[in-house]
Amino acid sequence: MAERDRMEQLNDALDRWTPGEPVPPGGEIRELVSLARSLRQMPREFFRTQLRGQLKERAMATTSAATTFRKGFHSVTPYIIVPGAAQFIDFAKEVFGADEKLRVPTPDGSRIMHAEIQIGDSMIELSDGNEQYPPRPASIHIYLQDTDGAYQRALDAGATSLHAVEEMPYGERSGSVQDPFGNHWYIATHHGASHIPQGLRTVNSFLHVAGTAQLIEFLKQAFDAEEISVYREDADGPIRHATIRLGDTVVEMGEAHGQYGPMPSGLHYYVPDVDAVYERAIRAGATSISAPADQPYGERGAGVRDRAGNSWFIATLLRANG
Amino acid sequence: MDPPEERLLIEAAQRDLTRFADLYDLYFDRIYAYVARRVGDRAEAEDLVSDVFHQALANLRRFEWRGAPFSAWLFRMAANRIADRSERLGRERAIEPSPEFEEADQEEAHDRAKVFALVRELPEDQRKVLELRFAEEKSLHEVAEVLGRSEGAIKQLQLRGLENLRARIGGKHG
Repeated sequence: MAERDRMEQLNDALDRWTPGEPVPPGGEIRELVSLARSLRQMPREFFRTQLRGQLKERAMATTSAATTFRKGFHSVTPYIIVPGAAQFIDFAKEVFGADEKLRVPTPDGSRIMHAEIQIGDSMIELSDGNEQYPPRPASIHIYLQDTDGAYQRALDAGATSLHAVEEMPYGERSGSVQDPFGNHWYIATHHGASHIPQGLRTVNSFLHVAGTAQLIEFLKQAFDAEEISVYREDADGPIRHATIRLGDTVVEMGEAHGQYGPMPSGLHYYVPDVDAVYERAIRAGATSISAPADQPYGERGAGVRDRAGNSWFIATLLRANG
Repeated sequence: MDPPEERLLIEAAQRDLTRFADLYDLYFDRIYAYVARRVGDRAEAEDLVSDVFHQALANLRRFEWRGAPFSAWLFRMAANRIADRSERLGRERAIEPSPEFEEADQEEAHDRAKVFALVRELPEDQRKVLELRFAEEKSLHEVAEVLGRSEGAIKQLQLRGLENLRARIGGKHG
């Protein structure tokens, strides 16, 4: 029988079949309807992965939160390097209501060596950079209550529009801008119980990479990352959007395209055991930026660069400091 | 899975709770199949399954290896939650099923869990169509709308998905 005929026959049989009644007769089609019926109590994939994530988060919280994180931080924090860090902080205050938590100037006071700002429930780290660490803008998916207001304030503060504010089919009102420092901000309000979707935070790193599938594989091998969702427009096409859990944080990513070209980012990643994670990352194909060492600011840290060019600063809080 | 292997997984998870995910992956489908069969409503089945695994994680370090499989512990907790629920709903607490009946139920759940795992191995678009169309009992039209495809494409995917699944089930058993 031609596939088209079988398609129609099967669909008719499925439509005629009401749960609880015997499966209509008819050879091969009957067998398929009966199989379809046995799937009625199949779990939703979304539920299975969501529960898995919740359990992992709870296990992490029970095991290690107090000893490996600094107060206010989560597993992953974006680390942005921008020329004009002081101006960037002003921009973030003005547009997103950021709260400056820490500012460490260079000895001559001309630049910022390291700064931390808080927006909502999230931190962003940044610095002016230097020869060793050149500018490295980032893409941030930020959830706020008033997308329209923030979008307008961003334009007023010198940002350019990437995408005007509109309702998105996936249940968000969103618009995007590029700030004067080269960072992308995808500003959004989620329509639901909270303006932030479950599992995400105010600030979420969005990695635009060439080779998203390879990056996900690397993150799984090196960092025990967990794939939560992967969306492709075509089964064989590039990954348009994926969400990956690292520790207690979800990171978004997608294949670079058009104005969203590859944008290697910097991320600060708290782990329970820096040395072990560093070694696994190198084995999984990362290059070393710096080997594990105790840092004067109370962390044991190391740096690696993945093949897509993202820099990962893996760290654990030294006990004396925790 | 061999009991010694299962034991290693449990002990690893007891030392490092984040390894509980391995146990979850191993038993999720079985527990879900067991609960869904007894509780018709999907949302309630999901709540109960979620409770069972949260309870298992919270009490994992208390679990003592005495030769009984870990799954028996999970099934026990699931059965208790289901009984609590019927009590809460004001129904009479069901009479404890006989051990033979209980065992047959668990085995049946095990068989259905294998089919769920095979569905997960199907190409993504076929898997999605089977899930929306049969697990969530959506109409052809609704599935087409959710996935942004034509109804013809959904008809083709549901046929291919079911044929593919049948072939895989045949392959596993034969």
